[in-house]
Amino acid sequence: MLIKPLEEIRIKGNPICTGVAIGKPFLFIFADDRVPEFVINMEEVGDEIKRYRRALYSSKQEVRHLQKQLELDGAHEGIMILDTHLQIMRDDLITSYLETQIRSTKKNAEYVFQFIMNDYEKKFSHLSEKVFKERIKDVQDISRRIMRNLKKSAKISLADIPMNSIVFASDLVPSEAAEAKKSRVSAFVTEFGGETSHAAIIARSKGIPYISSIDLKQIETYRDQYVIVDGRTGEVILNPKETTLSAYQALQYQLESHLQNLNKKGELAAETIDGYQVKLTANIEMLSEIDLVHKYGGDGVGLFRSEYICISSENFPSEDKQFQIYKELVLGMKGLPITIRTFDIGGDKGGSFLPQGETNPFLGCRAIRYLLREPEIFKTQLCAILRATVFGTVRLMFPMVSGSFELVEAKKILKQAMQELDKREVKYCADIDIGCMIEIPSAAITSDEFARQCDFLSIGTNDLVQYSLAVDRGNQMMSYLYNPADPSVIRLIKMIVIEANRNGIPVSVCGEIAADPRFTALLLGLGVHELSCSARFLPIVKNAIRGTSIISACRLAEEVLTLSTPEEVQKRLNTEYKNTVPHDLFHNIQSIEA
Amino acid sequence: MKLEKILSLKNKMGLHARPASQIAKLLAKTSSFVYFTCNSKTVDAKQVMNLLLLEANLSSKIKVSVEGEDAKAVLNELTQIFEDRFGEN
Repeated sequence: MLIKPLEEIRIKGNPICTGVAIGKPFLFIFADDRVPEFVINMEEVGDEIKRYRRALYSSKQEVRHLQKQLELDGAHEGIMILDTHLQIMRDDLITSYLETQIRSTKKNAEYVFQFIMNDYEKKFSHLSEKVFKERIKDVQDISRRIMRNLKKSAKISLADIPMNSIVFASDLVPSEAAEAKKSRVSAFVTEFGGETSHAAIIARSKGIPYISSIDLKQIETYRDQYVIVDGRTGEVILNPKETTLSAYQALQYQLESHLQNLNKKGELAAETIDGYQVKLTANIEMLSEIDLVHKYGGDGVGLFRSEYICISSENFPSEDKQFQIYKELVLGMKGLPITIRTFDIGGDKGGSFLPQGETNPFLGCRAIRYLLREPEIFKTQLCAILRATVFGTVRLMFPMVSGSFELVEAKKILKQAMQELDKREVKYCADIDIGCMIEIPSAAITSDEFARQCDFLSIGTNDLVQYSLAVDRGNQMMSYLYNPADPSVIRLIKMIVIEANRNGIPVSVCGEIAADPRFTALLLGLGVHELSCSARFLPIVKNAIRGTSIISACRLAEEVLTLSTPEEVQKRLNTEYKNTVPHDLFHNIQSIEA
Repeated sequence: MKLEKILSLKNKMGLHARPASQIAKLLAKTSSFVYFTCNSKTVDAKQVMNLLLLEANLSSKIKVSVEGEDAKAVLNELTQIFEDRFGEN
C-alpha cells in the first residue's frame, strides 16, 4: 500500500512574541469536546480535590448570581429551576463521592467528573417518561458549568514536558506561561489569546516565541513531525521541507548572533548619537528578573506588576509577607530606583479574588477601582510598600485611574497608611514619589489634572490602545483594529507628554510598544523621557536609542503626527528602523518562501 | 431504628425536579439513611439526581425506608410534604 507523504503546511496566525523556534509539537489542548486525562501523584491529591471544590464553589456562586438576575426580572419559575441545580450540586455524588474517586483513581478532577456524569447522563437517556428524560438537560447544564470552572484552573505542568517542545494549546493562562521553562518550551501556539494578554507578557519576558489565532485541527496529523514557529511573521510551518528547515536554521543562527552582539552593549549608556540621555528601565513580575535588569544595564525598574505576588494564591498576602517581598526587591535593585504599581486585579488577572458575575470585567471593577472598594487590602499593600522605602528608591504608582478623584481617594488611603505606621512607630520615607498609569482615554484627556497632582506619569499603551479603539485585546476577529500605531494613540501620547512637560514631571511609556525598537525613535521624538520594557528587550531598545539622534527622532515624530492611518504610521516607522538598524532580522522581516 | 412506609404521590407532575430538590434539602439535615423504592428501583433519597431517576409520577407509590435515630421524625416530615403535594396543586 502506498502512503501519500505528508506535505509542508503553512498556517498564518497572529504573531505575539517574536523569535524563531524549531521543535516537536506537544499537544496541550483543552478544546471543549476533549477532557484531559492524566495521573496525579499522592501528594497532589489534596490540591486536586481543593481545585475541584473551588470549581464547585464558583459554579454555585454563578447560579446564585443568575438567580439574583432572574429575581430582578421577576422570573420565579427560573429561580426554582436553578434551586434544583444548586440542590443537585450538593448531591453526595457530586461532592463526597467524586472526592473519593479522585483519591482512589488518582486521576485529574476533570476526568473523574466527566466519567461520573456520563454515567448519569446514560441513565437519564434510558428513561421512558419524557418529563424525567428531559432532566438530562439540567444534568448537562450543571456538568458543563462545573467543567468550565474546572478548566479555568486546569493545570498540566509545563515544567516537565520534553525538551524543545512547541506547545499547542487552546489558550494559555498566566500561571501556565509562568511555569514554562525556556529549555523545554521552544514556542507557544494557541487558538485564542491576544498580543497583550498577561500570558503573552510572561512569554515575552521569557523570550519564548508565541503565535495565536491558529486553528489547531490540522496539528493532530502532524504530531510526530517537526514544526517551525516564526514569531516574527506569525507563520507556523508543519512538516517543513529540507530546504525550509535549513533556511530557518540559518536564520536562527543569525538572530542568535545579533542578540549576542547586542548583549555585549549592556555596559553602554542609553543615549542617542547626539548625546540625549534616555532612562531605560524594565517591567518585571518576579524577583528573579532583577538579575537580567543588571545584566542588560537597565536604569532601574519602571514597572513592578505587584499583582503577580498573589495571582496564584487564594488570599492576599499579609503585610509582613508583602513587606518581605518588596524589601528583597528594593535591596536587589542595589540603589537603582523601582516603581511599584499597586495591585492591578481584575480583567483577566486575579484568580479567586475576581469580582464575581461581571459581564464585562475589562470595563468593570479592576485595578484602582477594586482597591478603592477594598480599602483594607489597599492599605495593607501601601503599608508594606512604605516600609520597603527605607531600603532604597521606591516610586509608587496607581493603575487604571479614570479621573483625578481616584488619585485624591488613593492619596487619602496612603495618608491613613502613613498614620498607621506612625502609630506603630515604623520607619518609612514620607516623600515617596507618586504617579499614575495613564491607560484610559479619560485620564489621557485630563492628563493636565494628573500632571499637576503627580510626581510622574507612566503611559500604559496596552490598555490605552484597547480602550481608545474600543477593541478587546483578546478578540481575534477584531485584532486588526488593535494597533498601537493608530494615529489616535500616537496623538494621545503626545497630549500626555505635553502636559507632563508643562508641569515639569517625567513621563514614561511602559506598554509593549516600549519593547518594539521600531517605536523607539518615535517615542523619543514625542518627548517621552523613559522607556520601560521586559528586561529581555533592553538590549534591542538600547541599540535602537544608540542608533538614532534626537533631532531626527523629533522630525520623525512631527511627520508621524500628520499621518492619517495606522498602516502609514507603521510603514513609516519600519522604514526608519530599517535605515538605522539594518541587521535586526527580528524586526526587519523578510519572509522565507517555501 | 428502622421504619418503612408506603407514600403515594398526589401532585400532578409526580416526583419531578422541584419536589426532588425539596426532599433532598429536607433530608440533608438528618444522619439517618433514607431509601426510596419505586418502579423496582431503590435509590438513596438524599440525592436529587437519583430521585429523578425513579420516574415516579402521579399514580406511583413509593416505599420509603428510614434507618437511624431520628427515623420517626424524618418519616413524619416526609409524609407531610407528600400530603402537601410539595406545595403544588
